[in-house]
Amino acid sequence: MAPMILRSLKTMDEAKAPAFEGAIDYTGAKLGMWLFILSELLLFGGMFILYAAHRYKTPADFHNASTELDVILGTLNTIILLTSSLSVAVSITAIQKGDRRLSMVLLMVTMALGLLFLVNKGIEWTTKIGHGIYPNSPALLARPKGEILFFGLYYVMTGLHGLHVLVGVCVLSVMLILIAKHKINQMPFTPLENSGLYWHLVDIIWIFLYPLFYLIT
Amino acid sequence: MGIGEEKIHLVKYRTYVFVWMGLVCLTALTYTVAVGIHPGGWAILVALAVAGTKSGLVLSYFMHLKSEKPLIFKVIIPLVMAVFLVFILLTFSDVAFRGVVE
Repeated sequence: MAPMILRSLKTMDEAKAPAFEGAIDYTGAKLGMWLFILSELLLFGGMFILYAAHRYKTPADFHNASTELDVILGTLNTIILLTSSLSVAVSITAIQKGDRRLSMVLLMVTMALGLLFLVNKGIEWTTKIGHGIYPNSPALLARPKGEILFFGLYYVMTGLHGLHVLVGVCVLSVMLILIAKHKINQMPFTPLENSGLYWHLVDIIWIFLYPLFYLIT
Repeated sequence: MGIGEEKIHLVKYRTYVFVWMGLVCLTALTYTVAVGIHPGGWAILVALAVAGTKSGLVLSYFMHLKSEKPLIFKVIIPLVMAVFLVFILLTFSDVAFRGVVE
């Protein structure tokens, strides 16, 4: 993702050069980001297929294991991520309208919600680990094969997703600094827009993780 | 209209808030169906249909696909979904018909 953001930053610099004044290729910058996002969707898609195949093979084990997850905490985290998507979307419109203050406040709200999501995830993981359920733990290995697979997938998929949330928070904090330094203004807002696209991608992945792990029992 | 002269599409704050409300309502719906009503075999279908609708809303409004003018943005998503579908079909044609290994 870094190259996409850097590329969109580069377009900002190019915008300063007199010869290219006003020549910002929004479509090109966004298309690059979209290609990255789609490759990410296929990365998670592969794991969704793995989940579906194992669930198909051992439905009873998946049923038993999924009832052990905290549905309330999962639902709360869903609402948190949806709200953070709203705040980052409004933040981008705000910078387009030239309202830097609102944009920065909403970016901070988004980052706070992202961190809150990670705190909840941490509580969830710690509780599970406290019960002796973690990859390769004796308590987990003593369980049926399907349950071992379910928790393995649970840790890998929510872990990789959590990592994406963390990266998203870091990217948004860079955007916050850029706005504060007047590097992102009304016109070259592409870096912020692309960061927003990344944040929504993280939201979409969770939209599918939530029913698969917490709801379908 | 040349490069750099593309018009920026401004979305109203209100539109975003409505979309967010819709997303929260859909979350409440899928939660209620799964936890409260629990319609057995239909649970997976309902949960996936709701997740599909929710991601559609995020893609169209939050990710601006609805207002994206160049054709390529309308094409790449179905294209990637088609590739993904091929992956699913190939995987399940293997998993479903694989013999039991003792």
